[in-house]
Amino acid sequence: MLKDAYDKILWSLLAVTLVALAVVLIGHRAAGSAIKDPAGPDKALEREMAYQARVEFINKLYAPVEALRHAEDPQGALFKLDELVRLYPNEAHGHILQGEILYGMGALDEALARYVEGVRLNGDYVDKKSPLSRRGEIQKVADEGLRVIGGRSRENPGNRSMAESLKNVNYLRSRLAGGCE
Amino acid sequence: MNLRDRHLWEVVAAGLALGALGVLLSIWGNPENSGICVSCFMENIAGALGLHDNPRLQYLRPELIGFVLGAALCSLAFREFHSRGGSAPLPRLAAGIFLMVGCGVFIGCPIKLFLRLAAGDLTSVAGVAGLVAGVWVGLKGLAKGVDLGPHSRERGGSGFLVPALFVLLLIFLVTRPSFIIFSDRGSAAQHADWPVSLGAGLILGGMSQRSRFCITGSVRDTMLMGFRSYMIFGAVAFFMAALVVNLASGRFHPGLYGQAGAHADHLWSFLGMGLVGWTSVLIGGCPFRQLVKAGEGDADAGLVVIGMFIGGALVQAWGISATAAGVPLAGKVALLLGFAFIMVTCLLFRERSA
Amino acid sequence: MTRKLFLLLTFFLLASCNSEGNRPVMKIGYMICNSEKETMQRFLPLTRYLSEKAGVDFVAVPVDTQDFEKHFKTGEFAMAHSNSLIYIILKERYGLQLVASEKRGQFGSRTAGAIIARAGSGIAKLEDIRGKKMAFGPMMAPTGYLAEYDMMLRAGIDPERDLAYYSIPAGSYKHEKAIYGVLFGRFDVAAAPVLDLEVLTREGKISPDDFVVLAQSPIVPYCTFGAAKGTDPEVVKKVRQALLELKPADTVEVDGERLKVLKAAGIDGYEELLDSDYNPIRDMARRVNMPPYQKY
Repeated sequence: MLKDAYDKILWSLLAVTLVALAVVLIGHRAAGSAIKDPAGPDKALEREMAYQARVEFINKLYAPVEALRHAEDPQGALFKLDELVRLYPNEAHGHILQGEILYGMGALDEALARYVEGVRLNGDYVDKKSPLSRRGEIQKVADEGLRVIGGRSRENPGNRSMAESLKNVNYLRSRLAGGCE
Repeated sequence: MNLRDRHLWEVVAAGLALGALGVLLSIWGNPENSGICVSCFMENIAGALGLHDNPRLQYLRPELIGFVLGAALCSLAFREFHSRGGSAPLPRLAAGIFLMVGCGVFIGCPIKLFLRLAAGDLTSVAGVAGLVAGVWVGLKGLAKGVDLGPHSRERGGSGFLVPALFVLLLIFLVTRPSFIIFSDRGSAAQHADWPVSLGAGLILGGMSQRSRFCITGSVRDTMLMGFRSYMIFGAVAFFMAALVVNLASGRFHPGLYGQAGAHADHLWSFLGMGLVGWTSVLIGGCPFRQLVKAGEGDADAGLVVIGMFIGGALVQAWGISATAAGVPLAGKVALLLGFAFIMVTCLLFRERSA
Repeated sequence: MTRKLFLLLTFFLLASCNSEGNRPVMKIGYMICNSEKETMQRFLPLTRYLSEKAGVDFVAVPVDTQDFEKHFKTGEFAMAHSNSLIYIILKERYGLQLVASEKRGQFGSRTAGAIIARAGSGIAKLEDIRGKKMAFGPMMAPTGYLAEYDMMLRAGIDPERDLAYYSIPAGSYKHEKAIYGVLFGRFDVAAAPVLDLEVLTREGKISPDDFVVLAQSPIVPYCTFGAAKGTDPEVVKKVRQALLELKPADTVEVDGERLKVLKAAGIDGYEELLDSDYNPIRDMARRVNMPPYQKY
């Protein structure tokens, strides 16, 4: 590939281009903190900021609900939450909170349905390390669901409502087990 | 079976390594039952490159980089690297997309299919049945004259392009430029340390290149040649190694429900893997094999790999991928379109005897 | 030949014809929830829907809660839609079979009874209701009377002695009147079904900030579909299946208008509970000495 002048020119230009590339990259790196590239995206930082802002927003939005829970008024918290879930139906946090409160009030089937809805919308709630993680609580509900609803379902094999609830239990178990989601 | 044949032991060794590392990578940090999954990892890489915006699935999986570069290095060392291509390039690109659709509907590639089975996930039985059925149908097509056409040695080193792309991805993995996204939550945040993953990928890429080991290939060869083919032994070795490591590490949980990354839509699992099996037979290998061949300089396989990147982006961006909740409508439609595509391809690329 | 074909065709048409005029007619007794008009508006579409699915001409008959048992025991109704206490009474006395339980609100097919006071009234806990004026819902309401009465007895408060007085609003919409009575100061406290509080909150008629929940019962089943003992089991099975499979998008034609069945009824669906799920109400009825366990 070095037969004639044209080949030589191309090789030379290629060498110059590679050297220029190296100079640009090394030069940029050396400049480092002194010169910020105004045009370069920092997606990681933007995403992190957006995520933190979202967590802050969620905490603020649902603060009245948490206040009612702390005041041991779960029903009041549910009423408040009902308003918020209707305003933000695709926000998982509301569904997760509903699940927690309903579970505390003994409504296991409804709690499972709410948890499923929340986890479907946002899998962060079953992640171990996410700031939104509710893994422990969800595991507890899923285990109880398997024991109680699984048992009732076995005793009443034709019961469709129990089968539906059991599907919810199995969905949560599957999400808790992990996988690529 | 000739026990003195080195190729037999290369295949068995590749199978053992794939099975063992497939589970060990999960233990070392990869998602449960997804120590190695070409389709899931393709989706992760597509996400890292910004091709989709699922924040839970964005990471440059070193394993895939290792597969291609390991195969490239091994083929170069043994003088088996040959730039070749030219066999129905665009249909292969589309096939790559639909391979990802099929895998997305099942939630896993053929490697993950058997890793799930080795972990006791009985929902993958439907996938195994589908894969076998798909391979069988594909073989029938080949017997009836379906042929995408021969590839030829190519001038100009086009076979280097895909390995070069993966070298670039490796550079990105190491230098972490700001335009490459790395998830900090979700399954993409679950990964082994990148040198470990890369090392495992390089080893498996090299071993698979030498042995020509392929999951769908082993099903295909067994159907064609029975136990005269060594591939079945590789597949058995793969499954047994995965099973043993799962049992030893307490990760074997037999059952239909509550399995990691699995849904209970058995019909669609069957069809998803059916599409993968059929497509793999036509294009000459499963997704894993396509990566290895791309590393060897096969530009046709390289196009399949590009198609898989596109498919990985689309299954996430368009909501095609199944989840533990089941298969979405978009997934079912895309899968059926995939079948339509493969049927039309068989019709158009069939050599009919007079 | 043509004549034979014509006769054959007519025969098949008649054989497959199941027009409304030829179907068996059965009555469903609907316990009046708030008012007769409201009950019929809610449940007429559901009745028509069940007619279509079961191949039976169901006729909806609204019946006042107090008269429900009287009508039921005459054998007038093939099916009954009532609250859970009425269900238990009819089950224990006349063998009513459980068909499906109605889902509405946050607790699905269950709800609870609450004792409420106006926010800022100074009444903050259950003990504070001694000597106060209280409104109850109708006596046969499991979560508008029974559950609250039971809660008070268990807390050592005798509604007959320890209140200034209690009253049950007259006329229709008793639960709403009890709630409004508290909010507008006519009563100090009220027995309010949580479901009604939910519905009124959703409709924007009241705000959760306006009242405090002093006590709340455990959740218990509420509105229930039952089948009379002699009703054709095939019809019962079809009705159960139709109810359980009802989805928000299902519609039926009523007086030339296409209506969404669940939306018209203001409910979220139906589910299959077990009779044993109603035991908490049985326990309450025993403690409060109410039918069907009333001792004189």
